[in-house]
Amino acid sequence: MSTIAVNAITDANSGNTTTINSVTPNVHNTVGKNLVINGAMQIDQRNATTTALGYTLDRFYLFRSSNHDQHAFSVVQDTDAPDGFSNSLKYTTTTAETTVDADELLYLRQRIEATNLQQLAYGTTSAKKVTLSFWVKSSVTGTFAVSLYQQDGMKNLSKTYTINSANTWEKKTITYIGNTSNAIIDDTGIGIQIDWILSAGSDYTSTDSSSAWTAYGSGESFAYGHGTNAVATTLNATWQLTGVQLEVGESATEFEHRPYGTELLLCQRYYNFYEGDNYSCVYSTSNCFTILDLPAEMRATPTVGYSDRRSGASNYYFSSYNYPRRVQLLSAGITNGYVTDVTLDSEL
Amino acid sequence: MYKLQPNDPIKNEPAKEIVRLSDNAHIPFDEANKDYQEYLEWLAEGNTPEPADG
Repeated sequence: MSTIAVNAITDANSGNTTTINSVTPNVHNTVGKNLVINGAMQIDQRNATTTALGYTLDRFYLFRSSNHDQHAFSVVQDTDAPDGFSNSLKYTTTTAETTVDADELLYLRQRIEATNLQQLAYGTTSAKKVTLSFWVKSSVTGTFAVSLYQQDGMKNLSKTYTINSANTWEKKTITYIGNTSNAIIDDTGIGIQIDWILSAGSDYTSTDSSSAWTAYGSGESFAYGHGTNAVATTLNATWQLTGVQLEVGESATEFEHRPYGTELLLCQRYYNFYEGDNYSCVYSTSNCFTILDLPAEMRATPTVGYSDRRSGASNYYFSSYNYPRRVQLLSAGITNGYVTDVTLDSEL
Repeated sequence: MYKLQPNDPIKNEPAKEIVRLSDNAHIPFDEANKDYQEYLEWLAEGNTPEPADG
């Protein structure tokens, strides 16, 4: 075995910008560099066609203001993806909005937990730049806004990208300056929210937030620069996304492909699904428990949902006993119960 | 709309959750939970949950 022992590897021209396979190694483009979860759109625990505002594929939320007049949509996991990816998130307009009014807004978002963003050093003079890269494909060409929103401080920074060719996968890269004024409080709440604007009325585009972190106010700067609302106003318009990466620094490095199991575990901090009948064990002459192990510690005590329960069982109660390693669902009035298709939701 | 839960039948303590009637979701009293945050906002608007059964 040979060993290379040197003090530094420098670029042939000068400096320390040597590249390996076109990537400049630094402390940030190592394992874990991607601050986005499920960027390759592999995880879809809800496995549903989303037609109302809410979570779609894991960690991605479709927001639509309630004041739309005609608009309807669907969001699904799709196998159409650029080379190197197997899935994308696909949005389709199923009923077109005739006109996007000033106060109407439609966007896809991912919220990143604050405790995972402390490395950005926001609120200090050392606040770091971040670079967002993603693959996008749409039947609509034009200029779209992508906004970063910071919960602590309530500010946003809106940049744009252009879809040049309809129905063609295009890779986009956008760099955002750091926020030197407002720290991201180290907690389990919302740190930064990435917002891909699909349509926005003039109430959300009137204040320039393209070069500085800008007070959110009533949202005037939220979608600044967004240029086309045709995704919402065109029947069967599509918009697809995959390969999403947010990383520290001024350049986009190659997408970090994490193992499926690792990505699923990251998602399970926010949502878990226990398919089928989950049987209970007897606790007393009239009560029983269903115990569900958690693959990952959840962000917060989860909201519990289920599709069905055994006849005679009362509503299941959430019990904090043994949380956060597992949750315990208690049912009164029956000793041999079950609860079906349980969901645990602690999304941001 | 929300509904209160009866006492925990084993511990005989007040339930630590509220039920959202639109989807029957059980929402824990955890201020970090976004559904509970929405419930608190709903209460702050002057609304009142339905009483518990029994």
